[in-house]
Amino acid sequence: MKRSRLQAYSGYLFALPYLLLFGGFVALPLLYGLTLSFFRWEMLSVRPPQFVGFANFQEALHDPYFWQSLGATLKFVAMAVLPTVCVALLVAVGIESVPGKRQGFYRAAFYVPTVVTISVAGLLWRWFYNSEFGLFNVYLSGVGVKVPWITDARWAMPSLVIMTLWWTMGGPMVVLLAGLKSISPVYYEASALDGATPRQQFWYVTLPLLRPILLFVIVLNVIGAFQVFGQVYMITRGGPELSTRTLVQYIYETAFNNYRMGYAAALSWLLFLVIALFSVLPFRLLRER
Amino acid sequence: MDKDSIPRLTRRRFLAQAALPPLAAAGTLLAGCRGGIGQKTVLRYWNGFTGPDGRTMLRMVQHFNAANPDVQVVMQRMDWATYYNKLFVAGLGGRAPELFVLQTLSIARFARAHFVRPVDDLLTKKSDIDVQDFDTNVWQAVSAKSSGQNKSAETKTGDPSQTGDMKHYGIPLDIWPLGMYYNRKLFREAGVVDAKGDPKPPTNREEFMDALQKLTKAGQWGFVFTNLESNVYTMMQQFGGAFFTPDNSRCLLHNPQNVAALQFCIDLISKYHYAPPPENFDAWIGFRQGKIAIAFEGIYMLADLQKQQDLDFAGAPIPQIGERRAVWAGSHNLCMRADLKERELEASWRFVQFLSRNSLDWADGGQVPARRSLRATPRFAAMSVQSAFARQIPYLTYQLSIPFVFEYQTEFNLAIEAALRGHLTPDEALAAAQDKINQILQREANP
Repeated sequence: MKRSRLQAYSGYLFALPYLLLFGGFVALPLLYGLTLSFFRWEMLSVRPPQFVGFANFQEALHDPYFWQSLGATLKFVAMAVLPTVCVALLVAVGIESVPGKRQGFYRAAFYVPTVVTISVAGLLWRWFYNSEFGLFNVYLSGVGVKVPWITDARWAMPSLVIMTLWWTMGGPMVVLLAGLKSISPVYYEASALDGATPRQQFWYVTLPLLRPILLFVIVLNVIGAFQVFGQVYMITRGGPELSTRTLVQYIYETAFNNYRMGYAAALSWLLFLVIALFSVLPFRLLRER
Repeated sequence: MDKDSIPRLTRRRFLAQAALPPLAAAGTLLAGCRGGIGQKTVLRYWNGFTGPDGRTMLRMVQHFNAANPDVQVVMQRMDWATYYNKLFVAGLGGRAPELFVLQTLSIARFARAHFVRPVDDLLTKKSDIDVQDFDTNVWQAVSAKSSGQNKSAETKTGDPSQTGDMKHYGIPLDIWPLGMYYNRKLFREAGVVDAKGDPKPPTNREEFMDALQKLTKAGQWGFVFTNLESNVYTMMQQFGGAFFTPDNSRCLLHNPQNVAALQFCIDLISKYHYAPPPENFDAWIGFRQGKIAIAFEGIYMLADLQKQQDLDFAGAPIPQIGERRAVWAGSHNLCMRADLKERELEASWRFVQFLSRNSLDWADGGQVPARRSLRATPRFAAMSVQSAFARQIPYLTYQLSIPFVFEYQTEFNLAIEAALRGHLTPDEALAAAQDKINQILQREANP
């Protein structure tokens, strides 16, 4: 009796360091931000913060730049998440089929880009994408093609997605690979005995058993994609003509260039709502029936 | 006595002079114990000189520290983009450094937030900074109302002392004008040369267009827009366009002169095909690679070009395209925190005067000193690109420093980008930008 209570307390004790950090650096700032979103606080002005109710949220709904950046963000999410997860799955299945020690090499090779910091990766790809002198166009010019990778509004977003695919695919790939390994070989043997082709095995054995992990990977990717900032900031700065300015960049500019703290806080909470909404969606779509 | 001339390498000094960004926290701590050991006044000095210019500045700080044993200046540098955020937040928290550098455009916003100390009362007979040693436009650019509105560049009063209720918020250290970089090899190949066969940089519209026509061929562009804002701003000023009403209460961006200037820039791309469509960032590389004959860039790009061994380039004033001479420029200004105590103030002012006096050393890093007397020296004349660009100083125009400068820049850049890409006509683009900027002005006026 006594011991079990002690055990219960020791659990809290173990969690305490994290809880303190979480409280101090996540929960409190979140609440502070929520409070801030109801104030008009321009740091450039000598006026003290002033309570304005929902005025910041109202302003956002009438702010064309908010809608534009939300649109750009949604576009990015729509274009980036599924391809990333599909390619990660494909690569994971491919690596899984490689025998023995070479697996480790391929896993590491595909994971390496994820380790590169975004400032380096961003700089690198900005050079790759340079329309006059970049690596891609230099090769493409051999066949007489010149792609305006990041200088044309129609191409800029897909270019960012391609770079993101390269940069972020490693994470989901490793998780999915671990998921594949957790599937018991018994199922494959049984289905093979029943005459299933490898393709049928993939559709009817691998995919269903991988569903919980796929769901996890998709939700994480959706959340990550909504918060896209680093690669946009490094490669296009939101250009050309704001076509790739995502919500996080707009929030960043509002807060730290224009010093409109209350409005930026309100925008952040709107982004939070949007992310919450879209993270629930995959659960509804992919839940066990 | 040799020993004394070499500064002792204490831990504090080491930290101070390494000035690495991760040591930011350490720097703050060090400053926290100011006035402690040995009664030294410790001054924190922040700037954005992260390139080679930072090393030049660090040497100057070391010289100052060696010559002033009672003061210890601790320099910290960070990337300009993050620098202003940190500086502003530090100001809000009351932890701003005693000394810092502000670029001209940012003066109004920091003045309005009451983070900067006006220097007017310090410019006494005793000070070795003579206001007359600055050109009118350069000195005027550091002035602002304490409420933050900079004196409009278009309404020059002429006399630098007649600035009314305006105050000056810093000492200009240098001037970075836009200038014309040109590739001498391409000029020679295309026959854009003078009687002696030397490359001849164009000085007016006719020569400019003639040169571009000769310099443009397959795989080679005559001109490139590396930075839209400074290039288009220069043209608009040359065409005589206004930007704001004299009291800065309304934006006037959409006017026939500005439209004509923008149209001229567009024509270089889409009518004459002398310049490629705007690149996001790296058009400059094209110039470095020798595929572009002319680019208008700041003096701060000089160090970059000098690294390029095989590039035969030179600098010249920007040709007069419009009806008047005008060139975009900025300055780094030495500023002091608003609430300095007597002792810190004395030491800080001593440092500011030291840097200003020795700003020819600063010019070695590729800058133009703000003081006329220093530019008159043979040492400066020997710096060929700097002195070529410096010939434009009498007609430099600084962009208006306003508190909401970033929002203004966003709209301005958006408009000219859309126009240069051909998505909007100059008329439409400038009208839209003017509307948006006026909305921002209105929001600012009615908090």
